[in-house]
Amino acid sequence: MQTAEFLIEIGQYYLMAGGVVAALFLVIGIDRIEPSSRGSYAFRPLLIPGICLIWPLVIYRWVVLEKHGEARR
Amino acid sequence: MSVQYTPVIWNRNKIFYDAVLLIAVALYLYIFIRVGPMFEDVTKPIDGAILRMRAFGSCAFLMLTVILCIGPLARLDRRFLPLLYNRRHFGVMTAGIAAVHANYVLTWYFNFSPTDRYVALLSSNTNYGQLLGFPFEALGIAALIVLFVLAATSHDFWLSFLGAPIWKALHMSIYAAYAFVVLHVALGALQGPADPIFTSVVAASVVLVCGLHFATGRMEARRERGEQTAKASLQEAGWVVAGELEEIDDDCAKVVTLTEDERVAIFKYDGKLSAITNACAHQNGPLGEGKVLWGCITCPWHGYQYNLADGRAPEPFTEKISTYRLKLIGSTVLLDPNPQPPGTYVEPVEIGEAA
Repeated sequence: MQTAEFLIEIGQYYLMAGGVVAALFLVIGIDRIEPSSRGSYAFRPLLIPGICLIWPLVIYRWVVLEKHGEARR
Repeated sequence: MSVQYTPVIWNRNKIFYDAVLLIAVALYLYIFIRVGPMFEDVTKPIDGAILRMRAFGSCAFLMLTVILCIGPLARLDRRFLPLLYNRRHFGVMTAGIAAVHANYVLTWYFNFSPTDRYVALLSSNTNYGQLLGFPFEALGIAALIVLFVLAATSHDFWLSFLGAPIWKALHMSIYAAYAFVVLHVALGALQGPADPIFTSVVAASVVLVCGLHFATGRMEARRERGEQTAKASLQEAGWVVAGELEEIDDDCAKVVTLTEDERVAIFKYDGKLSAITNACAHQNGPLGEGKVLWGCITCPWHGYQYNLADGRAPEPFTEKISTYRLKLIGSTVLLDPNPQPPGTYVEPVEIGEAA
């Protein structure tokens, strides 16, 4: 029971952290690193579940694209 | 240059694809839930919720099976290519159907527990050390998480943002999801009262997925061997490997140095490849850096133009340059280093599927 509760709690914190990353990325990051998203807003909510699920990878790619730009796409 | 993202790209073909898919899913669920009970053992009636749970679960399993068959089928026979066309909508729908199945499980088996139902789901059976009675629910959860990740990252944005290698590696986890689902079914539903139809369908699905992948793998290995042989015999005849097709951008050239004085520009344009000398007949300008327009290359130095197929300047001009023969083996471009006399027509190589 305790392990299950612990796992569920970790999952909840993981998704909450993903929510914060999603908010920051969709408001600040996406326009900086993805030219095709500039001026396009309707598709952004669709990205929220994906960012919540793989936010460590999102942060990694965000940092890489900020540093190296199009060359690392 | 870029195109702005939209939430979902739909066109006539995609709407048709999705409509057929929806109708097929609805029909399957209807038959399973409405017609299925007519054939059940009256001494062991199944609750409505369990029936719906099985209907959605088996539907997700079959959809995943079909999704995994589409790739190899399209490689074995081009007539299956239309199925590949909108596979991502198929995948998203599969994740949705699997989620409905999971929701039925949660609301049927764990709804009235004083414990949180997610905690109850994870803690009700923890016999991970044994095969019979294995907590197969965990395998279903693992598969569902993978399906969610794949569905949530199916938008074009993700391919561009993550880059093709990462995106592709991520989406290859569909095979892990399928393995989880097969084990989930094998250690779960198949452990119940023997149902020959259900067992046969599961076994046939697994054999079909594995068999198609094996057949495609063999076909591609055979094709690769054939390509290697063709490449080796051409190289023996003096042809040189000029590079891979993907190295050449559309309407651009790759310049290959044969000797210090001899460079060849290989152009990719209109789905074709042509090779000409890199030196303009006027003042040896670098033609490989020129612009392709209407099948002609314009020298960046003084604007002299040549047809890429025959190396002749358009009339009324009379300049001619050497052309070269090319061959495309798989995605490798091979070049005959012997120049054709200036102005000789050389049939452009059609890129076709390899592009």
